[in-house]
Amino acid sequence: MTETLPSVYGGEILHVHLDSGETEIEEIDPADARRFLGGNGFAAKQVSEHVPADADPLDPENVLAMAVGPMNATPFQSTSRGVLGFVSPMTNGFFDSTFGGTFPRAQKTTGFEVVVLHGRADDLSYVLVDEDGAAVKSADGLSGLDTYETCQAVRDREGEGHDTHVLAAGPAGENLVRFACTLHESEIREGVAGRGGSGAVLGSKNVKAVAISEGSFQPEPEGDLQQRAIQQMGRLMEDTQMLQEYGTSGLVNPINEMGKLGIRNLQAEQTDEENAEAVSGETLRAEYVTEDTTCANCAVKCGKHVTVESEGITDAKIPEYESLFGTATMQEVYDIERVVKANDLCDRLGMDTISWGVTVAFARECYERGLLDDDDSPHLEFGDADGLVELARKTAHREGFGDELAEGSFRIAESLGDDADHYLYGAKGLEFAAHSARGLKGMSIGYATGTRGGSHHDTRPTLQYDGQHDDTTEGTPEFAARSQHFTALGDSLTQCRFVSEGGWGTMVNENFTEAINLATGWDLSVEEVERIGERVYNLERLINASRGVANRAEDTLPYRVMNEPVPDGPSEGMYCPPDELEEMLDEYYRFRGWNDNGHPTTDTVERLDLEDVAEAVP
Amino acid sequence: MNVELRFFATVREAVGASTLTREFPADTTVGEALATLESAYPDLDGVLLDDGDVAASVTVMRNGVHVDNLDGPTTTLSDGDRLSITPPVTGG
Repeated sequence: MTETLPSVYGGEILHVHLDSGETEIEEIDPADARRFLGGNGFAAKQVSEHVPADADPLDPENVLAMAVGPMNATPFQSTSRGVLGFVSPMTNGFFDSTFGGTFPRAQKTTGFEVVVLHGRADDLSYVLVDEDGAAVKSADGLSGLDTYETCQAVRDREGEGHDTHVLAAGPAGENLVRFACTLHESEIREGVAGRGGSGAVLGSKNVKAVAISEGSFQPEPEGDLQQRAIQQMGRLMEDTQMLQEYGTSGLVNPINEMGKLGIRNLQAEQTDEENAEAVSGETLRAEYVTEDTTCANCAVKCGKHVTVESEGITDAKIPEYESLFGTATMQEVYDIERVVKANDLCDRLGMDTISWGVTVAFARECYERGLLDDDDSPHLEFGDADGLVELARKTAHREGFGDELAEGSFRIAESLGDDADHYLYGAKGLEFAAHSARGLKGMSIGYATGTRGGSHHDTRPTLQYDGQHDDTTEGTPEFAARSQHFTALGDSLTQCRFVSEGGWGTMVNENFTEAINLATGWDLSVEEVERIGERVYNLERLINASRGVANRAEDTLPYRVMNEPVPDGPSEGMYCPPDELEEMLDEYYRFRGWNDNGHPTTDTVERLDLEDVAEAVP
Repeated sequence: MNVELRFFATVREAVGASTLTREFPADTTVGEALATLESAYPDLDGVLLDDGDVAASVTVMRNGVHVDNLDGPTTTLSDGDRLSITPPVTGG
């Protein structure tokens, strides 16, 4: 019997050729829905099929695949996220960057599960997608506008107000800052596809923004998904109380208390409690938060707006925990009002606050150690709060030393030589997020093997903060791998991680399985559902292996993490020496069915039903 | 013996203070200290303990170390220790 596509899927992939303005529509093979589910999985398949292994990430041959999940716009909580898939200008490997708001739900209503941008427009353009297809339109007059201004300008041009949902690059994207992000401003909150350089890829395509005009498609779950979602609501609301009130900024104090918070470019992992308090969620809530904001179909409302009168900031996006790490504690800047200003500037200019912040912190340590001096740039001393704001502006516009910062810390280290690489904090070209590579063993192996590089959305730190795999390597490689299955599955569902971890589970389990089966009418087991995540993760690895950026030599950690134990505090003495990493890699590769060089074997490619999509790499 | 108590986020709201120093009998365990706090602060009643175990709704640290990595609720406190209580710490 011929398999049919479940009615939660819109059923089509829209290809937009920016050079000609032509579009084509591809039907989704029902077998691919079972194999890759949606979102992350669909995006990885598009990148695998369309981007040559030797294409530079900023070449027109790269694609930007915007994908949604099967349950987007259904009652399944917080499946309101979208995925941008591309080859990253930071890592030269596959990257999936997710974002919330209302854009992904609107995309779902067009019936296009994936919209793929190919090639490069002749002139600065924006792309308008509706249920009939797409048009490549002139962005004349939009050059240089910030992300918020661009969203507003496109809405104005289309004349439908917030019924047009816009994702935009800022000046940083136009200037090909490698970690340029994209921002979507909706009526109910901002969504930022922060990591990996989606803004630079958009900029390289001469595209300033993508807009969605809502369509008429409504996904219809095969079973009573609404009732299943309601069953989970109590636990969800109970377990996300901190997010509801403080957002992720509430993590600053407790993680500092654990001695696992990066300070002064990781020269320490705990600061005085007065410093942590100054940039904490508690302080932000007490002094600056004006309102809660939320993505579509989410009761948690983890988003917040803040107002800082001294900086002329009204209702800006609150700095997330990761951003407070990147722009405050790593800099030793504890002036929260300047930190909010720097974050707002990064959002408006369109830059990833993690990569930018960690790059600046790296430069500050190089300055401290004499590898950079005042002739290179002012404002490179730790603690320089005004410099933080000035360096953000210069980076986005590639002015002076900002042109160096715009390349990210790894490329600066390469140009400086000497021991500059000793002060890096990242993997595979991507700066680490705010979850200690030394103080959490699961993050050590998770970061080292992550397909995205230094991302905390490959292996998750959440269970490690609960005391699992934080200080032992026993069983940790398997934990890290299975957590990667969980995140790949979650990003293929396009469910918010906070909601899934808060209400549904921290690993693939029967809750997700029941929901997927109710949505699709399939009868998958928990093991089969986890295998979807495993398949997607292996496909990403195969893309990266073919590009030469995924192998044992690349599965490594920076010098400081492998050679300098945490100097003091509760995590004193913790690090991941090279022999420990090698032992964990052996175990991790064995668990995955990869060879000694970290490549999926032919047997593994067959077991995961990937033969027609990607080839094993020797 | 004196124990320094640190509260974060919603737990801080329930107590109404960020830091307190409180006297406990010698060899008080983490579970006993949490029970004392549940009695002292009505908004914490039922929040810190679940059938004698540390409740899933909080993360408890002794001197920055998760008590699950020590002896859980039977972890013994000493004079000068710092007991920190926060809503669950997630991955950001």
